[in-house]
Amino acid sequence: MTSIQYRRASYITLVAPAFLVYAAVIIFPIAYTAYLSFVRWQGFGIPQWVGLANYTRMLTDPIFLHGLRNNLLVVGISVFGQIPLGFVLAYVIYRRMVRAEKFFEVMVFLPITISPVVVAILWNQIFSPAGAFTAIVRALAGNPSYVMRLFEDRTLAIVPILFVILWMYTGLYMVIYLANLQRIDPEIIESATIDGASEPQIFGRIVLPAMVNIIFTTTVFAVSGSLKSFDLIWAFTQGGPAHYTEVIAIYMYRHTFRFYNYGLGASTSMAIIILSVVLIYGLRTIARHFERRYE
Amino acid sequence: MKKILLCVAAVLLVGGVLLFAAGRAEQATTDDETITLTMFTYTDLTDSVDVANWEVLLEAFHELHPNIRFEIDHGFDEAYHTRLQAMSAAGRLPDIMFLWPDDRTGMVTASGQAKDLRPWLSGLEGEFAEIAMMPQGSNGEIYELPEQVTATHVMFTNERLLDELGLDFPRTHQELLAQGPVIREAGLIPIAMDNGGGWQMQSTFLSALVERTGGMEWYNRVLAGDNASFEDREFVAALDIIQDLYRNDMFSPGMNTADYGRALTDFVNERAVYFIDGGWRVNALVAELTEDQKGHVGLRTYPDVANQRGVSGSTAMVQGTGYGMNSRLEGAAADAAWEWIWFYSGPVGSEIRQRHGAVPAYRIDLPADADPMVTKLTGFINETPAGWVLDSVLGQESMGLLQGDLQEMMLGSRTPGQVAQRFERFVAANER
Repeated sequence: MTSIQYRRASYITLVAPAFLVYAAVIIFPIAYTAYLSFVRWQGFGIPQWVGLANYTRMLTDPIFLHGLRNNLLVVGISVFGQIPLGFVLAYVIYRRMVRAEKFFEVMVFLPITISPVVVAILWNQIFSPAGAFTAIVRALAGNPSYVMRLFEDRTLAIVPILFVILWMYTGLYMVIYLANLQRIDPEIIESATIDGASEPQIFGRIVLPAMVNIIFTTTVFAVSGSLKSFDLIWAFTQGGPAHYTEVIAIYMYRHTFRFYNYGLGASTSMAIIILSVVLIYGLRTIARHFERRYE
Repeated sequence: MKKILLCVAAVLLVGGVLLFAAGRAEQATTDDETITLTMFTYTDLTDSVDVANWEVLLEAFHELHPNIRFEIDHGFDEAYHTRLQAMSAAGRLPDIMFLWPDDRTGMVTASGQAKDLRPWLSGLEGEFAEIAMMPQGSNGEIYELPEQVTATHVMFTNERLLDELGLDFPRTHQELLAQGPVIREAGLIPIAMDNGGGWQMQSTFLSALVERTGGMEWYNRVLAGDNASFEDREFVAALDIIQDLYRNDMFSPGMNTADYGRALTDFVNERAVYFIDGGWRVNALVAELTEDQKGHVGLRTYPDVANQRGVSGSTAMVQGTGYGMNSRLEGAAADAAWEWIWFYSGPVGSEIRQRHGAVPAYRIDLPADADPMVTKLTGFINETPAGWVLDSVLGQESMGLLQGDLQEMMLGSRTPGQVAQRFERFVAANER
């Protein structure tokens, strides 16, 4: 065996197991899902090829479109809510603008340590028709027949869920940003302070440029996590009432596991993948722009 | 050479781990004396009454059949169905599982993964209520032995509250509406009902209303698509009644976002005069109501409606759920599985379940010391005429559409006519 052959054999032997595992858990499921999205199949029997019918049905279904709208709102609250808020909280703690910063760090991070199902049940106890919110308003307004009806409004039903998502996940981003902020050499900030730099200048000229990469990475997490969000919303409302709080992952679940429409479920799954790829590609373009700006 | 051997060893190790992770299908095991079967039951582990009843049944079975052991897994509601479906898709169903007589567990029954019980049941059919022995498969198969006959619509009535308010049970829909202001004025809920899951309105109310407004002759024709449709006046009239009640604040406030169980709590705590739910709620009422309360809770049905074509006082009924067995089981293992199925829905299990509030599908006499609520429910089921339950005669997806649209109708996004039109189009395209 020549040296090149030996190296090639070693390469193949070493890479093959990892490739096989990757193919089994990533490539095959995606490829199979793509195939299923073009067939009508109930989970048994022979799949029947239907072309783009599943996609057509999905894209003309008002429930899917409302779910997509809700998903984009979840993406919005994650990208424009959790990330800026997490960053600001991390910065406040990092620059010691509050006392007892460890206490605040723990308090803000605490919700992420609780299971999403438990969080959903807890907040459901607050927002349900017989929940704490209704009881408080009844007591304050002196109106014993008041009932919290936000969930009955098609447009606003998702708002309590967005609030809980913001409450729950902001702490995660805060901790990630804080860890990265602590990696900035303190001498640079001290030097800037001695040179008379103001707080906004330190933030804009030193901190922000150092954090571009991590902001991009966390934004990718936020987008992909938001598009597949399921557990918290399912435990909270199961997408109801009348699909008002449904997101596309619930739409996919319902069609696949309740109605045995594996084809429609697979096409919804493909929509999530495509949407994730498009949004993440868009984010990369924006991130590159900022990277070039700060280089 | 050593490096190549090392690499080959690594590949074998990863391959071995993958093979091990793939596992193998669990199967019934037998030795000389004991047969061990896997079982997936439908039990709400958060419901102490449900759990206690289950343990009594299991203990009684083991006393009778000490040679049959179970490896039991519990599931409830969506979690049960999701796991059962995953097991079915993977070909790893347990030996015994809890099944529905309709499409709800259609993936298991329609795909041939559940055994037809008729060979064991032969000659015993007459011991069950007639409705319980209705075919569950296209060739007359019986995949699960129904535990009970279920009346899905009961209007539980607090007769004492009615008396205190100076009211009588209404004879018509309009009389009921007229009671609304009086009941609300007293700080009470006219009709306690929760519909957060969406199925409750369809199963426990609309199904009975459709028989009232249309009658069984029309009901059968519309299901068959025989010169009748869900866009007909009969079905729209049933939807109108629901909308009428909702608009007149007759139901529990916020019912469409309420968890299942809140209405029961309101009724038990005497905060509601009427409570609409299925007959299965008697199980909970047996444990939750005081002896005094049991004396003044009546089991009735919705009053007459305008232009009624159906039978006055009718409800909706369906054959109940029950246990079935994996089609792979043969010989002694299959016989052992049948022992459990027969125990659960047959004379012994039925007697135990009856004591705890069930009305079994198996024909047994009511004991003299039966709980008053059980006595009332037995009388109700024996004497009340019944129509179809929509979700037992139409598919899951049709119901998903209807239930969502019913909620939208109550919340003001759709009219009864629109709901009827969308439902008819879907049923015509997919079910007939």
